[in-house]
Amino acid sequence: MSFVATVVGRPMLMLWRTVKAVRRRGISWREVMVQLNELGSASSWLVGSGLAFFGAVMVTIAYAQARKATGNITIVGPAYFQLLVRELAPLTGVLLLAARAGAGTSAELASMTVNEQVEALELSAADPLAELVAPRVVASLIAAPLLILIGTVTATLAAVSTVTFVFHADGTTFMDPSFLTVSDVVCAFVKAAVCGLFIPLAASARGLHAKGGAAGVGEAVTSGVVDACMGVLLLDFLIALGFLLAGF
Amino acid sequence: MKQALTFFPRVLGRSLVVVLRGAGALALVATRTALHLPRLDRRELTRALVHFGFRSLPLALGVAALTGAIVILQAGAYAERFGLRQYSGWAGGYSVLWELGPLLLGLMMAARIGARNAAELALLKVNGQIEGLRGISLDPFTLIVAPRVVATTISVAALSTLTFLFAVIWESIAAFFTMRLPIRVFFSAFADMLWWGDFLGGGIKALIFGLAISLVSTAVGLSASGGARGVGRAAATAVVLSCFTIFALDFFITPPLARLLSS
Repeated sequence: MSFVATVVGRPMLMLWRTVKAVRRRGISWREVMVQLNELGSASSWLVGSGLAFFGAVMVTIAYAQARKATGNITIVGPAYFQLLVRELAPLTGVLLLAARAGAGTSAELASMTVNEQVEALELSAADPLAELVAPRVVASLIAAPLLILIGTVTATLAAVSTVTFVFHADGTTFMDPSFLTVSDVVCAFVKAAVCGLFIPLAASARGLHAKGGAAGVGEAVTSGVVDACMGVLLLDFLIALGFLLAGF
Repeated sequence: MKQALTFFPRVLGRSLVVVLRGAGALALVATRTALHLPRLDRRELTRALVHFGFRSLPLALGVAALTGAIVILQAGAYAERFGLRQYSGWAGGYSVLWELGPLLLGLMMAARIGARNAAELALLKVNGQIEGLRGISLDPFTLIVAPRVVATTISVAALSTLTFLFAVIWESIAAFFTMRLPIRVFFSAFADMLWWGDFLGGGIKALIFGLAISLVSTAVGLSASGGARGVGRAAATAVVLSCFTIFALDFFITPPLARLLSS
């Protein structure tokens, strides 16, 4: 229980304090653009190619299952596409983002903290939350849904070409949106946006509390990535449950 | 114009060099670990097993529980639509054993063990402690590297069995609460339609992912340079490269493994 409280509580506190700091100090849009490049565009290669592999493997698994149950793989196509859009692509995509952005953010902030650069910022009357954390949060909030979009497209293309060229069946059923509803797309984007908000908060909470030289940096990176990944899984579950209970 | 013409060959050549260098580093770590297996440092192996394996247990079980619940939450809707409710034990078990269990466990362990291993080795490297060991004619591979590679591989493989167990149990609980599926029905479908080859497939995948995490993070950690910044960068690079390697390996080993182990 205390683990959940730490994983969720720390970032919540961080969010509250960051919002307060931004309302007082404003936010540097230039820094937001820099972070958008750093966390967003630089991750697009990883998320895109990772999800392409994932899509191909999931289709292979679906093929093995469908062969046992129905004997015809094209039947599961639309259902698979809906599952991919609603659940698999957002979950795997934000996990990859959590690994990359979480590690990068906590490493950078931790090394600034142990080198007392954060204190230097405070001394020069700048708020580290408004200067360092807020641009990353805004950038990741914008970037995560876009990355999920890229990931869904590459995963679908990989799935379609695997079915067409490897299993010699009609692959276009795996991009057939007949089961897809508005709520699926909304659910996917809500997941991406909430997790995008969460990842830099969790990582910076660990990074800014790093202590004690290079060993502290390593420790902060590990716990930052673990917090980000764990929190993303938890949030994904809660959002999926919320949408299910709301019947939406 | 000339720049534009040579752009693609240059990018291609540069990435080829990066890939070859990476493959060479991995092969070097793997061979030297294999050569040092008989003279493994027992105490370091135990320490690494406790730190990497035992201490990751809560995280692995948490991931397993969430994975199981998410799979049933999302797949349950399809099971009801296709009238396959009583087969959800098989469907959920199959997807956890073959794909989601090893993959998510691998990603989380890449984040936890990979980052930690790379950070520790990078710290030793940039502080010159690895050279120090060589200086007093102790072999860093016997003492530090080989035990970690072995411990990581064993840990991930051992954790995978518990992860599968926990994920399937949570699937049955989630199926009971969301679909009112009796737990007995869930497990009878699970037992009737799966066989030991499915467990073995997931276990082998986890073992290979563990080996990949350890080799990648070791190679990244040992090639770190440049002070505290370098340590942080090595940890981040290790996580990213391990995740990518896991996805790529997943793609290449699943089809042959599935063909080998299909009943």
